[in-house]
Amino acid sequence: MQEGKRLKGKELDQLKKFLEFMDLSYDEGIEHSVCLYNDDSEIIAAGSVDQNVLKCIAVHPDYQGQGLTGTLMSELIQYQYEHGRSHILLYTKPANEAMFSDLGFYTIMKTSKVLLMENKKQGFSSWLNSLIKETPIFASSSDAKIGCIVANCNPFTLGHRYLIEESLKQCDYLHLFVLSDTRSFYPADIRYQMVKEGVADLSGVILHKTSDYMVSAATFPTYFMKDKSVAQKANCELDLELFGRLIAPALSIKKRFVGTEPTCKITGIYNQSMKTRLPDFGIEVIEIERKLADGSAISASLVRDCIKAGDYETVKRLVPENIFRYVLMKGGGSMMEIQKTDSLRQIFGPYINSSISNDDNRKEKSEKEQALFEMVDDYIEQA
Amino acid sequence: MQILKPAMAGTLESSDAQVTVEPGDGVIEFHLQSSVINQYGNQIKKVVYETLNNLDIHDVKITIVDKGALDCTIKARVEGAVFRAADVYEDLPWGGTIR
Repeated sequence: MQEGKRLKGKELDQLKKFLEFMDLSYDEGIEHSVCLYNDDSEIIAAGSVDQNVLKCIAVHPDYQGQGLTGTLMSELIQYQYEHGRSHILLYTKPANEAMFSDLGFYTIMKTSKVLLMENKKQGFSSWLNSLIKETPIFASSSDAKIGCIVANCNPFTLGHRYLIEESLKQCDYLHLFVLSDTRSFYPADIRYQMVKEGVADLSGVILHKTSDYMVSAATFPTYFMKDKSVAQKANCELDLELFGRLIAPALSIKKRFVGTEPTCKITGIYNQSMKTRLPDFGIEVIEIERKLADGSAISASLVRDCIKAGDYETVKRLVPENIFRYVLMKGGGSMMEIQKTDSLRQIFGPYINSSISNDDNRKEKSEKEQALFEMVDDYIEQA
Repeated sequence: MQILKPAMAGTLESSDAQVTVEPGDGVIEFHLQSSVINQYGNQIKKVVYETLNNLDIHDVKITIVDKGALDCTIKARVEGAVFRAADVYEDLPWGGTIR
């Protein structure tokens, strides 16, 4: 028995070798592994964790039928709860369905190659139902032209706004899915709020949260590693399968709009895979040329870079006006406090000046400024 | 007592049960998976509801994956999960609500 941890060096090589023997490959995103050993220190069972997903679970054929999977899963689930994750997904081979249902997992989708399960009975179907509830009744009629966009909006930019406007020209209703993954620069609820405000004036846009079922650690594990560019291939088949087979039909989605991808390799492959896979499900993939600003394509990563560098003037040109204050607020943990204060001073300067009279002495002045910054902070937090 | 966050107790080993609790929607929502559900499903449910009642919990989502646990085990696992979910780790009421 071995306590779980992130394996390194020799132990990691041993695990990789074992998985290879079991016809599995070790995923790069793995943060924690549990291995069981026999008396000769050989791995006889192993399982790993990547965010709220359990993967690479295997038991050596000579040791199957002893309930080792139960031991392994207990450890892995315990780890997840210790990290505050109560919605747990796993993928495995379809042949293992019966075994994992005995351990409290329920099937989301099964293909000939892969089985996706979760630990909530009807977790997926109640999410699908919530999507349908969020959709106005007239937007689910079969005559309407219905499209969709899946986006992280990290943060919401003029590029997203443009993509949405262009897409609306080609369909009656547009389902807009905002990713719920927590690993982004901006937290999920701030992103959702940004988008909500950013599209408030557009009719025909229906906003949803993706939960764990679209472009998540479970369906598309490499998406969030793109900055590290460790992933060799996109690994997005499961995501497209789930979307095409179960999600799109529930909402009668016939078109999926994407922005062209000039830089990011993973997103580029994802777009490409969409074009080959989704038509099989009767979904048309429409690529829309990105909006340019100052001669280069607007992208959320560009905005993030500007924010990290403290270049708020450029940021101002790349995001919608009413979103700017959200974008600013996060400012990133990496941003120096003094930069944040300076830029806030620039932007909220007029307000500050009007509330502070020249008669105040220095100390009072700085106190008032501070109070104002806090007010703005609170305001954004509440929003 | 109040369920503040998701928590779990127990394992998937034989003769044990894995109990997970989450904040509920105003009522007790009970899910049971068991290899002996036909023989002991009602008994397990009874033990769980009694235990929750003793702990004064009326608002919880509770999921149990049972591997043939005895009543005392189930009771202990439910109590374990609930106290973890309520963030109570010290001065547990032994002999009081836990008996």
